[in-house]
Amino acid sequence: MTNSILVYIELNNNQPLNVTKEIISKLHNCNNNMQINGVVITDLQSYELSKNILLNIGLDNLYVINDSIFDSFQTCIYSDALVDFLKQNNPDIFLMGATEKGRELAPRTASALDIGLTADCTDITITADYDLLATRPTYGGKMMATIVSKTKPNFATIRPGAFKISNFPSRETNVVFITPDLSGEKILTNILKCENKIQKDDWTCAEIIVSGGLGLKTKENFELIYKLSELLNAKPAASRGAVEMGWAPESIQVGQTGSSVSPKLYLAFGISGAMQHIVGITNSDRIIAINTDKSAPIMNSADVAIVADAVSVLKQMISTYK
Amino acid sequence: MTFKIVVCIKQVPDTSDIKWTEHNTIQRDGLDSIINPFDIGAIQLAKNVRFLLEKMNLDTEINVVTMGPSQASDILKNAVAMGCDKAFLLSDKKFSGADTLATAYTLSLFIKTQIPDFNLVICGQQAIDGDTAQTPSSLAQKLSIAQITNVIGLKEVNKVYSVWIKDSKTSTEEIKTGHPALIATTLKNTNILPNINGYIKACKTKITVLNSSDLNIDINKIGLVGSPTQVKKAYKFEILRNTTYIENESAENCSEYIIDEINKCRVNDD
Ligand SMILES: Cc1cc2nc3c(=O)[nH]c(=O)nc-3n(C[C@H](O)[C@H](O)[C@H](O)COP(=O)(O)OP(=O)(O)OC[C@H]3O[C@@H](n4cnc5c(N)ncnc54)[C@H](O)[C@@H]3O)c2cc1C
Repeated sequence: MTNSILVYIELNNNQPLNVTKEIISKLHNCNNNMQINGVVITDLQSYELSKNILLNIGLDNLYVINDSIFDSFQTCIYSDALVDFLKQNNPDIFLMGATEKGRELAPRTASALDIGLTADCTDITITADYDLLATRPTYGGKMMATIVSKTKPNFATIRPGAFKISNFPSRETNVVFITPDLSGEKILTNILKCENKIQKDDWTCAEIIVSGGLGLKTKENFELIYKLSELLNAKPAASRGAVEMGWAPESIQVGQTGSSVSPKLYLAFGISGAMQHIVGITNSDRIIAINTDKSAPIMNSADVAIVADAVSVLKQMISTYK
Repeated sequence: MTFKIVVCIKQVPDTSDIKWTEHNTIQRDGLDSIINPFDIGAIQLAKNVRFLLEKMNLDTEINVVTMGPSQASDILKNAVAMGCDKAFLLSDKKFSGADTLATAYTLSLFIKTQIPDFNLVICGQQAIDGDTAQTPSSLAQKLSIAQITNVIGLKEVNKVYSVWIKDSKTSTEEIKTGHPALIATTLKNTNILPNINGYIKACKTKITVLNSSDLNIDINKIGLVGSPTQVKKAYKFEILRNTTYIENESAENCSEYIIDEINKCRVNDD
């Protein structure tokens, strides 16, 4: 039997999510001889529309669990179909994006199989024995923990943005269609009404991110972060400290409980660089920190550490760009 | 017949009161324990259910449960003061060290053995102390019931079904579910101020303490022993880059330096 890794492919608008591609990219860079397989739960129409992409992301096998019922996401039914499939497919490792849907689907699935689940991982390693070492920030602490699981498949969800998308090797992908047995399924929930939200462009993919923290001292000063981002055509972001003060919305928080970002340039104004913040910016190409304290932890995580008053520098930059 | 709700709550450190040590770590000693703010949202939803059912002359019973050491009974008293009726503390050394799977299993057996005729389970979606929102989904599966997560409100409820508002990043949905079902809510910081009657009720209410043998539990599935995931190593996380320091420069010079970097990054683009 070949050893294999299975990746859950989440589609949105007939496209695999970035996190799915990030996971597969990472696996290709892991350099081992395991099969890399994908599983997608979908209706056939969406599959047809997405297959050009799905067949070109370097998978060995693509399992398409299909039924017309899968045109909208319903945790219980998706999970049942996935559980049945996993029992037969038996991968060594199973990975899923820690998206909103992934966070519902993964624990329900793991629980049905009575297997462990390491959620929200920021890094993974695969051992020579085909075991998964999954790394994530420890519960509330300041440490990273590498977690192993006694049960197979070793199952983990991966944070969006944890890995970079690279070029996929070209592989002949074998497609297997699977018709799930839904006979025992009593549909328990029923979507009565659904209003889709206007999808804002994904700020976490921005090339330049201007981020602010408690060192800015006031909400008025934090406004300078917005102003500069606008002038630079960059995206604003915040530390949790700034979010908790109500200076910025939670949706633009960077870090363990916020988003991971991977810009070309990350500008950190008045952010101390707590581990929970740093885990969200490791993939930045270049980091510049502006902080009055030379010994703040963010300084030696940065490429350039500017020891200065963040507010004065922000104001100066804004007046230059105006 | 009484409509039975189970609310699962967790004790967390009060991070709004966090003090930082000089080494920039959280000072954990002396932190107050509070009810996880999302779980207060769960209590609020349970009360909303009661409010609507009482209009139909249906009796409701809100059961609140937590797993933890004996000190956790404080948050249960609080929950009763906020409007819950019966409180249960699952306390046993054997429960400790549980990962999500073991926690969900333990809670599921509590519900199956103590409140088998439950209609709804309501949980906070996640805990603020860094947990990853797995427990509710895992618990729903262990109870073999439907689940709705990311719930921000109740639209309609009767004995047989309820309609909830689910708010996620991509959409807002109204979802109907038959009972029993599990609801996980992202409502938080709903501060329910207990009134004097609440406090009196809290004083009078006896907390039922249960251990592993009371729950008829498979001890190989609980606590550290029953947790498949284990920490292999923990380490301090750092990204160390080859840092260039810029000190004692005017704001103008610093600004110019950064703008230079921005321009370089833009040039690389083309
Ligand atoms: C479970 C958990 C999850 C968490 N998740 C996240 C997360 O996702 N994201 C996150 O960011 N945090 C997170 N945190 C919080 C994190 O531990 C820190 O508390 C937070 O990042 C601190 O924010 P800060 O850097 O803005 O503030 P501080 O740590 O207070 O830092 C302010 C910095 O500003 C500097 N400064 C002061 N004055 C000036 C000035 N005039 N000019 C320039 N600099 C100045 C100071 O030297 C200091 O370094 C989490 C914590 C927990 C417990």
